[in-house]
Amino acid sequence: MTPLLEVRSLIRRFGGLIATNNLSFEVATGEIHALIGPNGAGKSTAIALISGEQRPDGGTIRFNGADITALPIAARVTAGMTRSFQITSVLPDFTALENVALVFQVRAGHSFRFWRPAATDRALIDPAHAMLARMGLADRAHIPARDLAHGEQRQLELAMALATGARLLLLDEPMAGLGTTESQAMTALLANLKGHTTILLVEHDMDAVFALADRVTVLVYGQAIASGPPDEIRANPAVLEAYLGEEG
Amino acid sequence: MVNRRTVLSAAGLLLALLLPPLATALGKPDLVTLGTQIAIYAIAAASLDLLIGYTGLSSFGHAAFFGLGGYTVGILAFHAAGEPIFGLLPGATEAWIVWPLAILTAATAALAIGALSLRTEGVSFIMITLAFAEMFFFLFVSLKTYGGDDGLGFRRRSGLPGIAPRDDVAFYYICLAALAAVLFLFSRLVRSRFGQVLQGIRQNPRRMAAIGLSTYRYKLAAFTIAGAGAGLSGALHANLLRFVSPDMLHWTMSGDFMIMVVLGGAGSLVGPVIGAAAMVLLQSWLAQWTEHWMIVMGPILVLVVLFARRGILGWLR
Amino acid sequence: MTLLLEQMLNGVQFGVMLFLLAAGLTLVFGVMGLINLAHSSLYMIGAFAAAWAGAHGWSFPLALLAGAGAAALTGIAIEVAVLKRLYQRDHMDQVLATFGMILFFNEAMAMLFGRQPLMATVPGFLSGSVEIIPGVPYPLYRLAIIAVGIAVAALLYVLISHTRAGMLVRAGATHRDMVRALGVDIGLLTTGVFALGAALAGLAGAMTGPLLSVQVGMGDRILITTFVVIVVGGIGSVRGALAGSMLVGMVDTLARAYLPGMLKTVMVATEADAIGAGLSSMAIFILMAAVLLIRPRGLFPAHG
Repeated sequence: MTPLLEVRSLIRRFGGLIATNNLSFEVATGEIHALIGPNGAGKSTAIALISGEQRPDGGTIRFNGADITALPIAARVTAGMTRSFQITSVLPDFTALENVALVFQVRAGHSFRFWRPAATDRALIDPAHAMLARMGLADRAHIPARDLAHGEQRQLELAMALATGARLLLLDEPMAGLGTTESQAMTALLANLKGHTTILLVEHDMDAVFALADRVTVLVYGQAIASGPPDEIRANPAVLEAYLGEEG
Repeated sequence: MVNRRTVLSAAGLLLALLLPPLATALGKPDLVTLGTQIAIYAIAAASLDLLIGYTGLSSFGHAAFFGLGGYTVGILAFHAAGEPIFGLLPGATEAWIVWPLAILTAATAALAIGALSLRTEGVSFIMITLAFAEMFFFLFVSLKTYGGDDGLGFRRRSGLPGIAPRDDVAFYYICLAALAAVLFLFSRLVRSRFGQVLQGIRQNPRRMAAIGLSTYRYKLAAFTIAGAGAGLSGALHANLLRFVSPDMLHWTMSGDFMIMVVLGGAGSLVGPVIGAAAMVLLQSWLAQWTEHWMIVMGPILVLVVLFARRGILGWLR
Repeated sequence: MTLLLEQMLNGVQFGVMLFLLAAGLTLVFGVMGLINLAHSSLYMIGAFAAAWAGAHGWSFPLALLAGAGAAALTGIAIEVAVLKRLYQRDHMDQVLATFGMILFFNEAMAMLFGRQPLMATVPGFLSGSVEIIPGVPYPLYRLAIIAVGIAVAALLYVLISHTRAGMLVRAGATHRDMVRALGVDIGLLTTGVFALGAALAGLAGAMTGPLLSVQVGMGDRILITTFVVIVVGGIGSVRGALAGSMLVGMVDTLARAYLPGMLKTVMVATEADAIGAGLSSMAIFILMAAVLLIRPRGLFPAHG
């Protein structure tokens, strides 16, 4: 079976600095695949390259069997992938409901509709309510996103990512800034997605990584030094030296 | 729900409707002209607010579209009284021909300028819109046929069936109706799917791209619609004075429109109307008091930016 | 041919003026993230100060110094009083506040000096022409402006790439927090950069005096041309400002010199004059449009 995402020999330079150095890995359909590594290992750059925010200087990205290396962001979303951001990134003036409804609106095609109010459009509101309920935000629907707690904003971001209908979520540190309880709630939400939605997860919270991931790829200096099931990675001496050693 | 804003809006509307009889009663017919001026500027400011307040685009070239709308009226009137354009097309003075053409001309220019300017963002966008507007300013300065620097006067306002062109009160109500129509259209627009997208772009363009939106064409559509609004405003302004000149496209005019939006309160429909009224009244009041009124206006503007960023509307709220 | 050479020198001379304005504007943007419309007021203040000094018997070099100094002092005053509070605000606020300053300064100058243009004269030791290229006599004063421009460009280069202050300016543009963490007084740095930019604008204004009339609002038009320079060159980069200045100065000068004549070969003379004048004043904007089509971030973008 072909992998859902296939990254081959990806290269990205910033001036003289190589952020992504001949990076290759695969994400199989349905799995949660964690991308870990010390700070500056090039994890965020990898997400930016796969999502289309940045262009690689070499290598290919295949999604669902098709080469998407040259596609713009919007076309990749249509093809079925979307990303979340390290820094919480919702639309602060909109309510939680409006945030998600807008995603359904974009997904439905062009938005050159100038007359009917979007706020009473059942085709957008109903699925948005359902998605908020699924993410545990049903009773927060009419709160402006800026007034939501940090953990709730994170949940809202996930709701927005899922609302695009993506088969592949690129999650850039979804646990960043969350307290212990909130992290556990987020871990549970992600665990629930397992099997339905494929996830490429960049995360520093190792408890979450080892609880969720089916496979782990370790990045050091823009290169993948190991890839395999969590147990194997935990025991890998090279990983311990390059990465876990540094942390401890 | 009756709050302070609703009461104030209702009072404002009542005042606008009763202005001509009030002006007569007070023995100050000039107030009608002042009111007309406010309504006309409010149309341009409201359309600019679609960009600044709703989409987050700081356009500094709105005067170009205002001027193009005005010149469309002026040039067509000029040819109606003289030779046809290029010896082919006759001029026109009927409002139902001239005003839509003014809107169309401004919108077309906005489409072209927007297509280029929107390839950049932030400070570059501000500078580029300013520069392109300056280009149109120079164009009209150099068109000696249409008066160049001195501008172009014409004898009659655009004709509307059943309305005497010289009737200032009737013209005031026409401008008020145009403003009401524009505000109604925009109130639908900003709540529509299109409007939601614009507001999303203002709040977080990167997020909008990540959910699969190509922001460029929506920004361009907004820019074009705003240009059309300014075109209508310019057409009415030309009619008010029966005169157009490159001053309509002067860069300080673009600055004035920006001030109206921010002074009144960006990102709302009434804000620009309040801003236009405040600006026109403040100017005429300061000008009575001293010929050097700009020396007061400048610092007021600085203080508003520093300490009252949410505008008059934010203060009323 | 000799006329062409002369016009090209004129283009370089105009480019030098633009560079003096653009360098300060782009540095201030690069380091502080500020768009300052009142840069045009600093240029005007420099011109008025120098014209005033000249009329009161100051020697020409002293008058230039007065122009640069008056602009620098005004710059420091507005930076400390107002602009410092605007560095973290959005560009819209910066535009509006500095637009307000233009209104103020224009009116203040009108009240001090009246609306009649002042005339400054070319100093004796710089009047007359020289033949730097045999057969092409060229006004000495304009050559001197070009020389000043080259000197300023060289000075800026040394300052930015070879001094500690320049290192901080380069670092400050990209890593403001890091510079702060080094214990550098950012406030002093921004005021210094602003004063330098203001002095250059004032110098440009002071040197313009003998060429054009000194009058209220004289800076506004050239400010917009400077914006075109910055957009063409790439915002935030002094190198881009230099390249953009020369390109815009040259295109503008040559278009004004030759477009009407070229049009006369294809149409009636009177029409050609009118259309030629219009087209040539639009030439730099068409250049800007072309650059935007090919390189939206300018010819020499500052980062990456």
